[in-house]
This record gives sequence, structure tokens and C-alpha cells, in this order.
Amino acid sequence: MLEIERLTRRFGTKTAVDGVSLKIPAGQMVGVIGRSGAGKSTLLRMINRLTEPSEGRIIFDGQDVTQLKGRALRDWRMRSAMIFQQFNLVQRLDVLTNVLVGRLNQRPMLSSMFKMFTAEERAMALTALDRFDLAEAALQRADTLSGGQQQRVAIARALMQNPRLILADEPIASLDPRNSKIVMDALRDVNRDGLTVLVNLHDLTTARSYCDRIVALNAGRVVFDGPPAELTAARIREVYGVSEEEFAEEAALAVGATPQQLAVA
Amino acid sequence: MSDSSINLWRARMPAAFGPGPMQRGLRFLGLALFLAWFIGTLWYFDFSPTRLWNGLGGLGKIIVLMIPPSPGELWIEIMKGMAESVAMAFLGTFLAALVAIPLGFMGARNIVTVTLLRFSFRRVLDGMRGVDQLIWALAFVRAVGLGPLAGVLAIFISDIGILAKVYAEAIENAEKRQAEGVTAAGGGRLLGVRFGLLPQVAPVMLAQALYFFESNTRSASILGVVGAGGIGLQIAERIRVRHWDEVAFIIILMIITVAAIDWISGRIRRRLINA
Repeated sequence: MLEIERLTRRFGTKTAVDGVSLKIPAGQMVGVIGRSGAGKSTLLRMINRLTEPSEGRIIFDGQDVTQLKGRALRDWRMRSAMIFQQFNLVQRLDVLTNVLVGRLNQRPMLSSMFKMFTAEERAMALTALDRFDLAEAALQRADTLSGGQQQRVAIARALMQNPRLILADEPIASLDPRNSKIVMDALRDVNRDGLTVLVNLHDLTTARSYCDRIVALNAGRVVFDGPPAELTAARIREVYGVSEEEFAEEAALAVGATPQQLAVA
Repeated sequence: MSDSSINLWRARMPAAFGPGPMQRGLRFLGLALFLAWFIGTLWYFDFSPTRLWNGLGGLGKIIVLMIPPSPGELWIEIMKGMAESVAMAFLGTFLAALVAIPLGFMGARNIVTVTLLRFSFRRVLDGMRGVDQLIWALAFVRAVGLGPLAGVLAIFISDIGILAKVYAEAIENAEKRQAEGVTAAGGGRLLGVRFGLLPQVAPVMLAQALYFFESNTRSASILGVVGAGGIGLQIAERIRVRHWDEVAFIIILMIITVAAIDWISGRIRRRLINA
């Protein structure tokens, strides 16, 4: 259970996330939607503590995540795996090593510095890659892969962390429709294995078809929280003041994607 | 994870499990050779902690003698020497940068397509580069006599080789499509280079020339030691008579001068890249 209590983040005079409170039971797949600058990314990054909250608390299974430091913070980051819009793989390292990065928190420092991974870890990484049909590419450099392949490598890396929670920040905004579907399907599969998934999406259609629950943000505040069925076109107009088409166009533009890219899966 | 599935993966992708015995042996051999070389050279040059420690003591004494730095009585000479060094660096670099532009184009694969011509031309540049600036300075001191002219010529000749190579590489990395656009509009070969290539490489060329000006100001101080004019002569004389406080003053002056040139050229470079 992930509990967020009155979480706030200010950048100078601007409030990016404004008193957000959410309770997310284990195993839920939650889509976070909102226009550009609504605070979606900041919210997700605060959960992983890549961004420090200004106020409020994050509690995971009774543990206050906002107070963690040092070793405990790194352990928490391992358990709440991030997936980024731009994949954030190390381009000059091979795919296998990129996936093994997901193990770094759980193994001795010195042997990691010399890239001395055990046969078991290598086999685990290959198994994770094989799940996304990428085992054959394990020895290629990450920059030789297409965007969709790189995002699947990033998911394999996340799974190597043995996470309890997956935080995906616009995972498909830089991908074409076919790869978007592969990546979203992968996230749903991971969710069905019992992991909680929080995914920022610019595309309402994708959010409706994949998520159990949708949280809509506007100017840092939660303006909708419920099942996809309740997020009707009328409701969109009510909370955002624009039609669904306008909303989709604007949100897509903000992340540099083409609007309505993903058909119903 | 079970041993059997690890072995299954090992059979399927052996390369994913690190280097094989052959590769590992070669790596070990390479490392051993490198270490032997390293330790061998240390031994050959008689690097011992006591020698280093004693040397450090000597250095400490010199530093004590340097404090406080003093311009001495002949401070006008020092200022003149510094100005001379900067002037030498400027003149040498400017002339070299100018001459290196046509030479750079002649050394570029996309301009001179005759391989033999380009190859022999590049080897000449290699030759100029292969001889160090200091050797050129010694030669020119014998040829044109003591003084700044020898220094300017030394900077000029040695930098032509390096700048022409750098320019040639910048030209080879330039985009072909832009020059093609000029050709397609009916511009000739020379105009294609003028309008299609030069605008791409000119900022790189100027930036490199500025870098060289900066580093040549530093090396111009060495050239003086062998009689090729500039601040080096002043510093060498003062080391000979052990006026360390004045040496310290000259060193500080040199640092300030180089920092000033670095700052100015940095601003110009940023301007160029953004413009």
C-alpha cells in the first residue's frame, strides 16, 4: 500500500505539486494524466525521491519514505523502479550491462566497479531480456537499438531491481504506435505479476484501456480520481475546461508525440 | 535461479558470461607487459622515495625564497619581455592560421580527391608536426639570429602542421548536403566550397586558432630560454642568478596573462558558436 499525504513541491514561487493525497493499494495499475506542467513528472519523481518534496509524506507499507537517507534511500529506490520517457540507458554500454545495472544495489561494491557479475546474475539478466524478445541483442551497445527496444531494455532493468512498485514517466511518448503497444502490454504483464504500476500518460485512450484507476492532475492538484469508466468526455470538459480532443492534442504536443497514437489494445 | 537454467543460457550465449579462457589469458598477458614496462621505467630512472623526498625539500626551499614575489629593479624589462611573448604568440599563430586554411582544404579528402596528391601532402604536414617547436626555435636562432623573429618563425612553422591537420579534419566532417545545395543552384566548385563548406568550418577554424594563441603564449615563454626572445629570456637569467623572488613575480605575471587571454578567447568562442 502506497499512501501519499498532502505531498507538495514548490520550484521557487511556482507550485508544481500542490497537496496531493492518494492511497494506492498493492497491485493496482494507476494512470496519471494531465496537461503539460500539471505536475505528473514531479509527483512520480518525488515517490522515487529523485525530486525532494517540499511538504507532505509518502508512506509505503507503513514506512515513511520521505525520511529515508543513505543506504535506506537507495534500497527504497531499488524497490520503486523508474522508467523514463527517454529510457535513460547508458548508450555506450552493452544491453546486458545496462540490465545488470538493476542489480547494483544488491551486490558488493568492489566487484561491481570491475563489472564482475556472477554467472547467475548474467543468466537472470538474459532471462529478463528474453521476456521481451531481446536476449539476442544482449551484447549490442544500447545505442544500436530502436526506441521501442531501448524502452523494453529499461523495463528489464527495472525488473532486475526486484521492485514492489514501477513508476513509469511517459514511457511511450517517444515511441511509435506499435512499440507503444508492446511497452504498455509489458507494463500490464508486470502489473499482473503483482507489482503496483504508476504510469504518467499523455494519451487518454491508452490510460482508459490499460489502467484500473485514473488520477487526473491540474495545476498540481488532483481533479479526478476514479475508474476509467467515470472519466467521460463530459467529465474531462468539467475538470479541464476543454474538450477531450483539445486536451489530447495539447497533452501530446507537450511531450512531443503525435496525438491519439494508440488504438484500443 | 537453478544451475541448469544458468548452464542453458551459457550454452546459448557464451559471450554474455564474460571473456573466455583465451581472451582472459591475452588480457592477463597485456596487463603483465604493461606493468613490467611501468615498473621497468621507474627502476631505470631510479625513482626512489628518498630521492623524491629530498627533491621535494629542495623545491620547498625554492618556494620559501620566492616569498614575497618582487618585480626587482629591472621590472620594465620583465614587462617588455611579457609583451614580446604575447606579440610573438599572436604573430606566429595568426600567420600559421592563415596559411593553414588553404593547406587544410588541400589535405581534406572531400576537396582533393586525388589520393596520391593528398597522401603526400599530408605526410609533409606530418613532418612539420613531428619536429617539436623547441627544435624549430633552436634551428631558427642559428638561421636568423637571437631574438623574437626566431620565436615567431618557430611557432609559425610548427603550428602550420597541426592547424592544417585539424582544419582538414573539420572540413572532412562538414555536411556534404549544404555544399550540394550551392552546386545545384549553379555555383561552381570554388563557390560551392566558399558558400557550402566555409560557413560550416569557419567557426571551428577560428576557435582552434584562438586555442592555439592561448597555448602559444605559454610556450612562447619557453622559446625565450633558447634565445628566441620574449619573457623566457628574463626568467632564465633570473634562475641562473637565483633571484627566486623575481622568478615568482614573472610566473604570476604569466599566469595572469594566460588567464586573461583564456577569458577573452573563451568569450569570443562562445559568441562564434551561438552566432
